[in-house]
Amino acid sequence: MISSRLKVALAITLFLVFSSGFAWAQMASKTDADSAAIKQCVAAWEDAWNRHDAHATAAAYVEDGEFSSTTGVPSHGAKELEAHYNEIFTTFLKDAHRSDTVRSIRFLTPEIASVDIDWQMTGARTRDGKDAPNRKGLLTWVVTKQRNGQWMITIYHESAF
Amino acid sequence: MNSIPLKAALAIWLFLTFSAASSRSQMASNHDADTAAIKQFVANFADTWNSHDAHGVAMHYVEDGDFSSVKGEVSHGRKELEDHYTMIFTTFLKNAHTTDTVRSIRFLAPDLASVDIDWLVNEPSAPGGVLRKGLLTWMLSKRNGQWMIVIYHEQSF
Repeated sequence: MISSRLKVALAITLFLVFSSGFAWAQMASKTDADSAAIKQCVAAWEDAWNRHDAHATAAAYVEDGEFSSTTGVPSHGAKELEAHYNEIFTTFLKDAHRSDTVRSIRFLTPEIASVDIDWQMTGARTRDGKDAPNRKGLLTWVVTKQRNGQWMITIYHESAF
Repeated sequence: MNSIPLKAALAIWLFLTFSAASSRSQMASNHDADTAAIKQFVANFADTWNSHDAHGVAMHYVEDGDFSSVKGEVSHGRKELEDHYTMIFTTFLKNAHTTDTVRSIRFLAPDLASVDIDWLVNEPSAPGGVLRKGLLTWMLSKRNGQWMIVIYHEQSF
């Protein structure tokens, strides 16, 4: 016969197993939701870029966001970022179109993630206005979750190969 | 005449102001110490790389560290990382020398920092002796007091 003490211990064990399983599932679904939200952030940014909307493209960054180009030239903060996008959208990338595909997401904390994105570009020109070959490479972003639940770009790096 | 509650409030206020200022200055000095430790870590990574010690370089990463090359090819975890470094140090980079200069450090949390490093790889047979010039962009994490690479990205331009 099972002693009442054993029954209590069994009940506690079952409760702990069940609740930790539940917390686990909840955590996993939270990560799934955040992964989906991050993919949404990338898609919205890509869309703003393809509309050549410098303000909306810059607005995907946090206020003191950082950008560096394929040649390592940096822009820092909302004002510089918008000026940078204005410059490229009115000059050598004014007819360019990009496509971005999330390759991997690594959560560094629940609110900070590193995202690798394969990118391709058509319609780019050289600085002197000639057609440039299609470009491709890797974007490597650090995104952070804001208080309103939205993910934004904190650091943007890009490489071309 | 000051009431006792007023004196007590004043004492509490002074205590809070003082302790906030002291924790702030401590935070700034922690920051300075971490910045120095990160620069030391980068210098040590370059020394290990320059001695072509594949195991030693891989040990600069956390156990499940991520690497991606200038062409976006990935290695994940210490074993793959060590294999990758063994391959490059015994083939096209066997006479190469790297020079890494920290450009900027951004702390995302007290134990998490993004580091940009100007990067130059010299190799005797390359044109002008320069094989690669570009930017390393690392994510470092502080584990048991030691900064280590969680994610390594590099670009060449």
